[in-house]
Amino acid sequence: MESQGRSLGKRAWQELRSVRTGIVLLLVIGAASAAGTLVLQRPLTDSQSLARAYSPQTLRWLDALGLTDVFHSWWFVALLLLLCANIVVVSAERLPMAWRFFARPYLRPEPHFVSGLPLQAEIPVRRADTGLAAAESALRAMGLRPRRVEANGSVSLFAERHRVARLAAYVVHASLLLILAGGVVDGLAGWRGFVALTHNQQTSTIELRNGGIKSLPFVVRCDGAGQENYEDGTPRRWWTRLAVLENGREVLKKEIEVNEPLVYRGLRFFQSSYGSTGEVESIHLSAVPKLGGAPQSIVLRPGEGVALDAKTTVRLLSFVPDFVLRGNQIETRSLEPRNPAIQLLVASQPGGEAKVWLFPRFPGFAHPDASPYRFEVADLEMGYFTGLQVAYEPGQWAVWAGAILMGLGLIMAFYMVHVRYWVVPVADNRGRLVLWVGASASKNRAEFEARFKELTRKIEAGVRARSSNPAPVASVTGA
Amino acid sequence: MARAAAAEPTSRRNNTLLILVGLAVVFLVLTPALGMPKSGASPDEASLLYGALVFYAAATAFYVGFAVSGNDPYARFASLATWVGFAANTLAVAQRWYVAGRPPFSNIYEMLLSFVWTLAALTLFVERRYGVKVLGTVTMPLAVVGVLLMQLLPSAVRPLVPALQSTWLHIHVTLAMLGYAACAISFALALMFLIKDKVRTETFLAATSAMLVGIYLGVATRFDPSGGLRVAAWDPAEGREIFLAERTPLLVVIPGLGWLFFLVLASAVVPLALALWGVWNRRERAIEWANRVFVLSTFVQGLGLVAFLLRARDGMYPSGQADGLFATRLGASPFLLAGMVSGLAAALLYLMLWWRRAGLERMLPDADTLDRLTYRTIGIAFPLLTLMIAAGAYWANRTWGSYWSWDPKETWALITWLVYAGYLHMRMARGWRGRRAAYFAILGFAVVLFTFFGVTYLLPGLHAYA
Repeated sequence: MESQGRSLGKRAWQELRSVRTGIVLLLVIGAASAAGTLVLQRPLTDSQSLARAYSPQTLRWLDALGLTDVFHSWWFVALLLLLCANIVVVSAERLPMAWRFFARPYLRPEPHFVSGLPLQAEIPVRRADTGLAAAESALRAMGLRPRRVEANGSVSLFAERHRVARLAAYVVHASLLLILAGGVVDGLAGWRGFVALTHNQQTSTIELRNGGIKSLPFVVRCDGAGQENYEDGTPRRWWTRLAVLENGREVLKKEIEVNEPLVYRGLRFFQSSYGSTGEVESIHLSAVPKLGGAPQSIVLRPGEGVALDAKTTVRLLSFVPDFVLRGNQIETRSLEPRNPAIQLLVASQPGGEAKVWLFPRFPGFAHPDASPYRFEVADLEMGYFTGLQVAYEPGQWAVWAGAILMGLGLIMAFYMVHVRYWVVPVADNRGRLVLWVGASASKNRAEFEARFKELTRKIEAGVRARSSNPAPVASVTGA
Repeated sequence: MARAAAAEPTSRRNNTLLILVGLAVVFLVLTPALGMPKSGASPDEASLLYGALVFYAAATAFYVGFAVSGNDPYARFASLATWVGFAANTLAVAQRWYVAGRPPFSNIYEMLLSFVWTLAALTLFVERRYGVKVLGTVTMPLAVVGVLLMQLLPSAVRPLVPALQSTWLHIHVTLAMLGYAACAISFALALMFLIKDKVRTETFLAATSAMLVGIYLGVATRFDPSGGLRVAAWDPAEGREIFLAERTPLLVVIPGLGWLFFLVLASAVVPLALALWGVWNRRERAIEWANRVFVLSTFVQGLGLVAFLLRARDGMYPSGQADGLFATRLGASPFLLAGMVSGLAAALLYLMLWWRRAGLERMLPDADTLDRLTYRTIGIAFPLLTLMIAAGAYWANRTWGSYWSWDPKETWALITWLVYAGYLHMRMARGWRGRRAAYFAILGFAVVLFTFFGVTYLLPGLHAYA
């Protein structure tokens, strides 16, 4: 029993260390994500639509399997954790090997290495130093920096490029873990909420997505909001002027719009919606005396009376933004001022009170009333609210750092090749002095072969040039 | 039968070509005659696009001609036609950019415009740089289907809604287009690898028939019990579909068409069943018959497409949901039409393979090169997809206040990424090459197609406008 348990543990460990498990996990996570887009998800759909889409029994099954909230279900999280564990284990097992490439360059090839190297050539030379000089200049011409390696009294050359490419896979894997860590931090410590503000309103509490309330250590005030339209009437821009107050003092002011949030103390306020409150802020009226006389312009606000003359005052009695009669009941169809109706109370000294209905969309409409004035609506300003999303995501910086790191890692992985060249003067099997040239590349070997042939051609040409011209030889011997 | 192709006399080979090019020309003349609606696009752009369509289609014909005959002049003509089409396409992009005053990335029409442009650019690049001349045989039909779809989608230049006014959108979409076009190229290369790698012709037959069955099962969901086919109604005055409620379009029934597509579906099921049975029991006769039925099925599909073009192009039809007669246009059912055209293109490509496999194999670079090129192309696509997702997340974070919200489009982008990540690990860490890698590359592109079209039209989400 115990041995079986141990072998099971061993087998699980074996599975965890294999790349194949990683590939299977990638595909399983892909399939689970696909399921999460095909089955309606609880956080995004209301329970009525769910009930309409699935029978109660199906829904019970889907709920039990976590399929109605795949991305927050325990098994999805477990799959992600398994993938992370796999990445960590697989990388940790292979990193020492790659690190050796990186930290301890292999400077001088030994016989067992030479025999296994696919790319190598031998170039006959008369003197070792002229050969090495030719090889050095050929390597320099390729943009490499050859270094002279001295061992056992003989000198050889070593040159390499993009050594860091050996670490590419680890950079990518580390960046992925960084991104996931950022996501975990945000999942645990982050929150999202919503707040609606009207002009001059301020708040320090946010309604959270999950229904809770969050109080802020500062106050946010709305100093104005608006919408701008294209010529065809579709919205072009929404904006809100926000001010942040700490202890009653203004510390930050910003006009935010969609794509341009306000950030304060790690909290970000986004423009998310904009709409009419259904209340009127002010009405511009022109009052014309019925008995003749000059018309006067007045501005009426809710709750304020305006004196038209010594004996007459007017005030707003009621306002309906989108007037409709159902039966004999006055109702509003929406909160937008599509068909506004205004009821005024006109009080005059001898005549008493008169109620006057005004319909700006139908200026001809006039009901006989006892008011000494006739009214025309010049303009009306509605009250608007601006809807702000509020988000706190302390882990997002890890996510962005991870994304940049991953971009770099992928460029290293696909576009940087670790190439190495060795040049060693040796005696070949017939006892002649030759320059042994070997090379290796971490990938793209077919293309690299052409590069290697080019190098050996250049060295040969250099050797020939140097042996026909004795001057540099003399200088080398002189040195 | 197929293996004997190389021995056939040249005259017959050239006749096939003439017929193919002739068919393409007839198709091109028919397209404008059918009066596909061009709602709102400026006339210059429409004619430029039509020019691109004609030349891409001609390029397709010449690439196919080159693939079956191996005549180098055909390859030259094909490249030339692609260049001309590409030039027209570039001008169309420039025109739209100029008119809209912003890069053309904001709706699915504009995305297709950019996608086709990138696809043609990459095809020409791979052809020049790596000398893979037959690549266009697969990518140019894709470009033609793309431009055809564009003719049907609403193309009016619309002002950008506030959420889309961001530089990050342009970065995000440019990366997506480049990445997806690279995926399309890798798909074409993987297909060629499978041909060169001696995957049996029967397997291609089964795969093509399975794809056709899939397409026509999709069409069959529109089957009406009266024997008609339900298509979306079109409001000619508004230039768009009629909606009963949000996401519930009014459907009209075209009588008789349902039975025809039932027949098409049956004609695709038979070769699939025969091929599978033949491969399973090793019966050559069954496979021979499967191929014969497949030829018949291709004709029936062509018939179905023509009938659909004629009936759904115009006319007033009754609806089961409301009283009276309603109009419809091809523009109301772009995805039915795209499915049928892609199905026909795939069927013709298979028939080309069946008739001229030996010649085709001679045209292709060797299997190792194709395998390596597939990997290289995915090596280009994968970093682009990664950065595309990152740019999209950054944009979402600035707009909606959250960098990841598991919305269907972003989830499917992630799935695409996961599949290609699987491919890369298979190759780099486990050294799996060849067929398994090629199947993975094909799966990857299937997921890309679903992400691009399937999610937009089947799954609701925040990306509703793209």
